[in-house]
Parts: sequence; structure tokens; C-alpha cells
Amino acid sequence: MFQDDDIFFTLPVYAEMQGMIWEKGVMLSERERERYSRQLPLIGEEGQERLHSASVCVAGAGGLGSPVLLYLAAAGVGHLRLVDPDRVERSNLNRQILHAEPDISRFKVESAAEKVRALNPDIRIEALPVALNAGNAQTLAGGMDLLLDALDNYEARYHLNRAALDQGIPLVHAAVNGFFGQMTTIVPGETACLQCAFPHPPESVATSVIGVTAGIIGLFQALEAIKILIRDGEVAKNVLVVWDGRCGRLDQIPLVRDPACQVCGKGDWQ
Amino acid sequence: MMISVRVRAFARYRELFGERFEVTVPAPATVRDVVMAVEESNPRGMGELLDSGGRVKPSVIVLVNRERVTGSHRDDHPVAGGDEVAIYPPVAGG
Repeated sequence: MFQDDDIFFTLPVYAEMQGMIWEKGVMLSERERERYSRQLPLIGEEGQERLHSASVCVAGAGGLGSPVLLYLAAAGVGHLRLVDPDRVERSNLNRQILHAEPDISRFKVESAAEKVRALNPDIRIEALPVALNAGNAQTLAGGMDLLLDALDNYEARYHLNRAALDQGIPLVHAAVNGFFGQMTTIVPGETACLQCAFPHPPESVATSVIGVTAGIIGLFQALEAIKILIRDGEVAKNVLVVWDGRCGRLDQIPLVRDPACQVCGKGDWQ
Repeated sequence: MMISVRVRAFARYRELFGERFEVTVPAPATVRDVVMAVEESNPRGMGELLDSGGRVKPSVIVLVNRERVTGSHRDDHPVAGGDEVAIYPPVAGG
């Protein structure tokens, strides 16, 4: 699927990521065995148990958060922490597919938690209607095995990045606009952090997005999360995966850790 | 002397300027010279790559020969004839 023949390089093979906590020996119930019967041959009981034991913070329950939450819940991720301060508006419904007309004016995390619980009652959902900020980012990231950036602004993203680095938790970043989207995996101490990748946030432009773009990038992010949690496959370390939906292209742009990064490096830029 | 530089544009920049093309700039050339030539290639692209002070917008991701160019001296990074300059506009929505 990667069509790029110009900017290219090899993704590093998966290596153990720091900050991951695995419970050993979680037994699957008969119901779970049936529910996951079509993926157990792929990921094995061990993989399923890793998903079951995992705690994942999904920051943002909007366009990216909707597909991420649906598919992580369906795959059996055992503990999802949803963080989003906003309430559902009618203008969200073209892309935020967890929410529907009757949810308008409800907290997004409440609406999302309800749908996700109905999809998979065997997992634990925490719905936190708060804005991620400098004061609470560390607490929200606490105890998590993986952080997912499904946010809509770089200010909150930088706070999440700092929490990921401080606590050594992998972070999968994603963002969309129009027909375009991007995704990368940040492993503290190993890869470029979000600040290295984007030292300056893009200018705020009027958000317009076709819902499918958020769906595609959200599912790349969900797949990345599953691969990280089950420790299988190759993940987008030190590359920005870039989707151009207008011409159906997926490219990779190399990212490098900046030794002078103000967040993960020496910070001697000043 | 004029030199020819290969340009590779992604996402919105691909739509505005084209996917792969060449620009001609006077030597010795810098990232800023190349980016300015790209912006001037399409009137609809004015203001997309350069700020009001004529500097490359800090959020634009720039690669020269597939290597990321960052830092406060990025605009002055040298570009030689035949080099490839790639540009990508990060997105923000969620």
C-alpha cells in the first residue's frame, strides 16, 4: 500500500517499549473466547490477554476518537479512559460516528461510553469530561500502558507528549484536516517526541474534514495501538505516516529525534 | 548561474503546487529561495509557505534530500542543483 518510491526507509522491527505493564495469566471467559474467536488465531491467547490487561487513554472522543474507541473496544482492550470536555453538537455528526442526533448536548465521553459499553460489556470504560491541560495531563496519563492523541489542538497535544515522556508511556499521535491525515508513534527515549516532530504547531485554520478521513486515520491509529499492545508487527517509529485521500496515497516522512529538543532533549535551543 | 532543484510536495501542497516538479533558482540557493520559488509558481498558493516577513512558516515540514531540516537557521540551509526539497503541511484536526 505504501506507494512512495522516493522518500523511503525501513520501519524498525518492533522492540520492547518501556512503560508497558502486563498482567500475566489473565484467563479468558467462554464468552470472550467466542467473542474473539475470529482474531484469536491471529493474535493468540497471549495477545488477547495483553489487550485485556491493557489500559489505554484516548484523549479526544471526536472524529478520531470515535473509530479508535469502537475498534479498541471491539478488539477487547480491557480498560479505556476517555478524555474530552466537549458536548456533542449537530455539526460533529458528519465525522464523529459514535454520536447520533439524540446525543446532541450530551458530554461526548458519556455518549461514547454508552455506545462502547453496549458493544463490549466485558471491558472497563472511564468517561472523564475534562479538558487535558498542563495541570492534569500527568494524572490522566497515570497508570496507562498507552496514550492515544485523538485531540484537535496542539496545545493539549504538547501536554500529553510531556506526560508520555515523563512517565515513559508510548504515545500514538494522529491528526486530520480535509482529505489529509497523519500518524506517528512516539516511544519515549527512543523516537522523536511530538515536539521534535512538530516544533511549531500549524496555524489554526477553519476545520473542515470529510468524515471518512477521520475514520481512515483513526483506524490507522487503532491498528497501531493494537500492534503496540500485543507487541507484534512494525509500528511507525520515527516516521510520519501521511495520508492523501484526494489521490489515495500513503507516504512516510522521516522524523528524527532532536538532541536540542526543549522537551525530550537538552533544550539548549534557548 | 541558475540551478534546477527538484521539489516534492505532499497533501495540500501537492494540490496547490503539484506533486513533483522542478524550480529554477539563482546559485547559491537556500531553502528559503526554493520555497519562495514554489510559492510564486501558483498565485493561489500565496501566503501558504511564507509568512508576512518572507520567512518559511515555522510549521512547514521541510526535507532536503530526504533529511529533515529544522532549527532557527533552516531558511538559510544550502540547496544545490539537483537536490530534492520536500514540503509537508502538518494538520491539526481531530
